[in-house]
Amino acid sequence: MSMSEDERDELRRTFEAYAESRDPALRDELVTAHLGLAEYLARRFANRGEPLDDLVQVASVGLLKAVDRFDPDRGLEFSTYATPTIVGELKRHFRDKGWAVRVPRRVQELHLRLSNVVSTLSQDLGRSPTIGEIAERAGASEEEVLEAMEAGRAYRFASLDAPGSAGDEENQSLASQLGQDDPLMAGIEHRVALSPLIAALPRREQLILHLRFFEGLTQSEIAGRLGISQMHVSRLLARSLAKLRGSADDS
Amino acid sequence: MSKEAEVRLSIPASPEFLRLARLAAAGLASRMGFTYDEVEDLRIAIDELCFSLVGNTGRPGTIVLRYWMQDDALVVEGAGQFEDGMGTSPALSPLSQQILTAVVDEHELTIGKDGPEFRLLKRHSAA
Repeated sequence: MSMSEDERDELRRTFEAYAESRDPALRDELVTAHLGLAEYLARRFANRGEPLDDLVQVASVGLLKAVDRFDPDRGLEFSTYATPTIVGELKRHFRDKGWAVRVPRRVQELHLRLSNVVSTLSQDLGRSPTIGEIAERAGASEEEVLEAMEAGRAYRFASLDAPGSAGDEENQSLASQLGQDDPLMAGIEHRVALSPLIAALPRREQLILHLRFFEGLTQSEIAGRLGISQMHVSRLLARSLAKLRGSADDS
Repeated sequence: MSKEAEVRLSIPASPEFLRLARLAAAGLASRMGFTYDEVEDLRIAIDELCFSLVGNTGRPGTIVLRYWMQDDALVVEGAGQFEDGMGTSPALSPLSQQILTAVVDEHELTIGKDGPEFRLLKRHSAA
């Protein structure tokens, strides 16, 4: 970080003012003035499979922390103080992200190609290909293929709402593919269980059940249609239902 | 690769290191000419068994894995040595059992002298 003496003094005064006032505007100014440092450090961590932009973001978070914690009275240069803080933030980023993002890009790309290579090879050969065959077809080493297989599996977090992989027919999200109980199934089951039992009832009782539950007639309407009293309909219905219940419990 | 050509791997008993256990198995299986599907099966089995030793969050201690070739099969043994004691005796959930039966030819989970141990055997189909 090359800075003129004047700039240095200027920043020192800003730090002192900020330490006193905690004014967000001063904080912005200090952070902006040192973004170059964050970017410089982020570059040191590039080529580890993480996009530089992301690393700069992470480094900037470290820079924010450093600005907040820096105590100008101790006589340290800010960059001396901030560097370990920012580097710590970057290191933690790599550690926390674990394998999910530390996979080098070429392995990631190979992983994406792998499923295509495997399916075409499986078709060509009529069996599952060996790793050697996959490597040859993909123009990679066996180790790379194994690494790429590994890259796909563990430590990848899937969003339930993210669209499905490109191969899926309708790019459905995982959440939309979750199954659920179909409430109609129970109804079908009951109907299937009941139909032989209903068939065993006397014809008149079958007719009453049909009118009551399938056509939705009231007991009086049924009575009117069959020329019997509503009381009688009620008794017959109760008897039919009792019989059905009894045989359903037996079976 | 005979029993003498045994590969040993000692890893911390936590999930992020299981990758190495899988990778070693995959590397050996690939050497033996296992197919893609067989390698995948093997990796799944190692995951199942290792997770049954260390749980989802890991335990303080190590897992020592030994890999070797037996006739036309790859055998993997894993032994957990944990600092938090023997814990509950290891058991495979019915689902794990089912998965393992589907992906490897033999598997078992036992209690050894230092802690839980597993063994699996995956045969190489004549391709």
